[in-house]
Formats: sequence, C-alpha cells, structure tokens
Amino acid sequence: MDCGTCETSGPVQVMTPEVINVNLTISNKAQEMLGDAFGDDRSMALLVGVLSGGCSGYMYDLQIVEDTDQNCQEINIDGFRVLVPKASSHLLDGIEIDYVDRLMGGGFKINNPNAESSCGCGESFA
Amino acid sequence: MPTVAYDDAALTVWQGKDALQFIDGLSTNKTLGMVKGEIRRTVFTTSKAKIIDLATIFHMGDFLAVVTHQSQLESLLKHITPRILNQDVSIVDVTSRNAFAIEYGCSNSNVGHFDSLNGRTYGYVDPKYSIIVASLDVGCDYDEDTKVFHEWRIENEIPWNGYEISNKNHPLAAGLDSLVHPQKGCYIGQEVLVRMTTRGRQGKKLVKIDNGSVSEKFITTVGETQSLAIVRDSNQ
Repeated sequence: MDCGTCETSGPVQVMTPEVINVNLTISNKAQEMLGDAFGDDRSMALLVGVLSGGCSGYMYDLQIVEDTDQNCQEINIDGFRVLVPKASSHLLDGIEIDYVDRLMGGGFKINNPNAESSCGCGESFA
Repeated sequence: MPTVAYDDAALTVWQGKDALQFIDGLSTNKTLGMVKGEIRRTVFTTSKAKIIDLATIFHMGDFLAVVTHQSQLESLLKHITPRILNQDVSIVDVTSRNAFAIEYGCSNSNVGHFDSLNGRTYGYVDPKYSIIVASLDVGCDYDEDTKVFHEWRIENEIPWNGYEISNKNHPLAAGLDSLVHPQKGCYIGQEVLVRMTTRGRQGKKLVKIDNGSVSEKFITTVGETQSLAIVRDSNQ
C-alpha cells in the first residue's frame, strides 16, 4: 500500500465557509442560569461550538471555559463573554440561546434559524 | 484463491487525532476503539439512511487508510468535508498510487485484521473474501473475467458497490446489516435505521432468487440461473 505519507501529497480540498460576524442572543432565563453557573467570575466564557455527528450531522457544543485554543470570535452579551469558533460561524449566526425549565428534556436549548432540521433531542441539527 | 480487479476502489489517507471519532460520528458502525492492525467497515449514510458509500478502514497506527469507491468519492467528500469544522482531520486521496484487487473463495479466520505480504496489504474484511491493496510498482495479479466472481457473489449473497450497494438503498436492504451497530451513539441516518429495526419494518432486503421468480426491476445482479434482488416480502 502506498499511502503517500512519506512525501507531500495534495490534501483533499476542504470546503471552508466564509467567516461571519455572528449575532446571537441569550434569553433572560438563559442569562439567569448562566449567571448561576458563572457566579461572580466573569473572566470565564461560554464557548458555543459545533461538532460533527449526531442524528442530523452537526451537534451543539456548549462549554464554560477559561480560554480555548480554537480560533474564536469573542462577543460580549450583557457582561457574559461568549466565544464562537470562526469555523462554525456560518452555522451559528442568528441563534438564540434559551433555557427550558422542565424535568425531562430541560436545560439550555439553541434556537437556530440556519437549521433545516433537527433531531428529537434538539442537540443535533442539519 | 481466485482474484479479480477492484477497479472502482478509492484510497484516502486520514490523519489527525480526531479522525476515528469523526468517522464514528458520521457512519453506521462503531470505529472508536480501533487499534493498529485492525480493519473495520462502516457505511456513510444520508439523513434518510440511504447509502453514500461503504468504507473499509485500515488502522495503520499514525493514520487511517480508508478504501471507498471512486464512483462515490466526490459525493462522499462533499458530505463529510463541511463537517470537519475545527476537528483535527485531514484527508489525502492516494488512489492513483495504488492497485486494488479482491481475493475470494477464502476461509479467513482473522476477519477484522490485515497483513502485509510481499508488498501487498491483505485486508480480511469477510470470512469469504479479502481486499488487496498494493503500490503500483508491486501491483496486483488478477483474473480478467469478472463473471465468475459475480456468480460467486450471487451464490454467497455478497452485496457489491454499484449493484446492491447504491444510493437507492439503505444498508439493511443492501445486506449490510452487520455494519449497522445496534448500540453506538447518534450518526446521520440512525433514527431511520433504528426505527426500522425496533419496529420490525426493514422494508426491502437482499435475497438470492431463481431467475424468473421475481420481476426484473428488483434484480440487482443477474446470474446464469440465480440472481440477487432487493425485494419486499410481498414481492417474492
């Protein structure tokens, strides 16, 4: 097998979408819950990312981080630092981060106008 | 063992720490946990669970060598590359550097592994056949006549790319049930496949039939006296 790993082979062209200046909103309820999670330490940031996989092809990835090695846009929303990886910006522009308060299926939810479809649990979208 | 050319094969090299997880998240079989020397097959599917391509993954240690099909490579790459996003995955097409063949009529006892012999890599993908990959200077020897191979496929109900394995079918209908992992996490098309299996509504399935016993429109591989067909129970 000649894997071409010993010399430089041309990589498959990966489609790189244009980076968009992301606009996003956080609902009052979500801000309240984030406030509980962050406490007084506003040096932490909410990382809103996208991973491949899930029933619909993309999965949301929400993390509270100090920093990240991903190349991100930083947005300040009512005192919260929000980081959005530039590679995912085309998928996240215009989203609303909401919080649904119920026993089953509750928690942070993302309402995404770019999603053509999403799976039942709401974690995955296309 | 008889050998035929695997003309439609494509070989891509996948590198990066996220490559296995990336494939796992987008295809029907579990690939996480593979180790060097292992080989595993999985199917990339659409959201409607139709086949995009069958992939055979060779875990080479530092990278993955993935055998797919040239006829599907463009649509496969179009499906997967936008989903790489921030993940550490890079893909290189090395098809033109290699020759491919199928050795069949085997009695492979070490399915799921591969060996390198005399410059050729033998991937034991099935108890009855192996994929051979060799660099162009080594090459593969094979029989010119593929008719015998397809008769053997019919006899053993082996689905093949461009016949049963096509974008018209889902993996369960194409006879690739063993590549649909029942317990792995979500992937594109999973909801449809799980619904079929849990409700017992697979719909179509691959069968070997005597010629003339079903309508020609259901036949996927035509043999001398028997053929392969993808039918619903009511079509038989």
